Amino acid sequence: MEENTKTKITITLPTNAYFMSGIRDFTLNMIKNTTNFEEKWAFRFQSVVDELCNNAIEYGSSPGSEIRITFIYAKDDYLEIEVQDTGTGKNRIKAEELKKLYEERREPAYQFTGIRGRGLVKIIGEWSDEIKFEDRPEGGLSVTVKKYLKDPRFKSGLPQKTEQIILN
Amino acid sequence: MTEVNISVEDVNPTLKVAHISGQLDESNVDEKIQGIYKALENAPKGLNMIFDMQNLDYMNSKSIGYLTDLYGKITELGGKVSICSAKPNILDILQVVGLTQLMQNYESLDAATTALAVPVVPAVTPTPTPVAQPAQVVTQPAPTPVAQPVVAPAATPTVEATVTPAQAPVAPVAEPTAPAQPQPGQVTSDGAYKFES
Repeated sequence: MEENTKTKITITLPTNAYFMSGIRDFTLNMIKNTTNFEEKWAFRFQSVVDELCNNAIEYGSSPGSEIRITFIYAKDDYLEIEVQDTGTGKNRIKAEELKKLYEERREPAYQFTGIRGRGLVKIIGEWSDEIKFEDRPEGGLSVTVKKYLKDPRFKSGLPQKTEQIILN
Repeated sequence: MTEVNISVEDVNPTLKVAHISGQLDESNVDEKIQGIYKALENAPKGLNMIFDMQNLDYMNSKSIGYLTDLYGKITELGGKVSICSAKPNILDILQVVGLTQLMQNYESLDAATTALAVPVVPAVTPTPTPVAQPAQVVTQPAPTPVAQPVVAPAATPTVEATVTPAQAPVAPVAEPTAPAQPQPGQVTSDGAYKFES
């Protein structure tokens, strides 16, 4: 990979959790082999992508529809992952609602009691520096997360404590 | 469906080991986890359980939700729950969701078995005869509906890859470095919401 380049990879897949095993393998290998993120982060992004896609499959795109994953790696700078759904799912949700839900669950006092609901906050949120929820003009939702490579907090090994939420 | 295998071994009347191998994900967890719930039906009081994760390669947030639920059911009956031999990526995800605060992780199955098999030292003072308790039944959680595809999916997802030269250097969004910590939900001058977890 050349200096000062961005690599963009887009994957479109049917709304079916069956494909996620392959997407996880791809994510792990792509990050291990083409970025400067350490291996631990390759596994973490694997989970982030899986959780984002599972949410899109479950809430955003109806069966028979599709979801789109875009990876943008800016060399020595950051990795951005965007997952888009089509907004055709039965349980579709607007960016504003999702952001509200995210903020509620980020509260330290929030208790996770059910089987579900940990993915967005405890995995995606903890392992990214920025998270952005956007309604797509053509319908559906786009969730974008960004992780900076030169994050001084990497060295501490501590969980990420502060982040930005951007809502468009 | 992604491959995963769960088998539950009865080590002794008060200890079961759930051996989990493969990948626990959205495509299989609702079905496969039932094997553990079944093994806990009519569980005696004080039953301990070890989740042997030596051959577990991946688990998603829903799997973690089920583990948390199983932990609650076992400890409600006075039992203990441990995990053993988890790979670093599994331990990492268990850690980030806080599950390692509930369940002790052991390096090996032997170490976990030894730890859970330690007999309870009887109290010095005589204790009253325990009153017979009705058998407790572990109930299974309501199954989560799994979205079924109506149309057979395309055989291969499409992958497009492009490498483009960077345009203007992308300025990373300002990292919060000031000593003053932003308050939850605080709106900053650039319209972003910043908060501390």
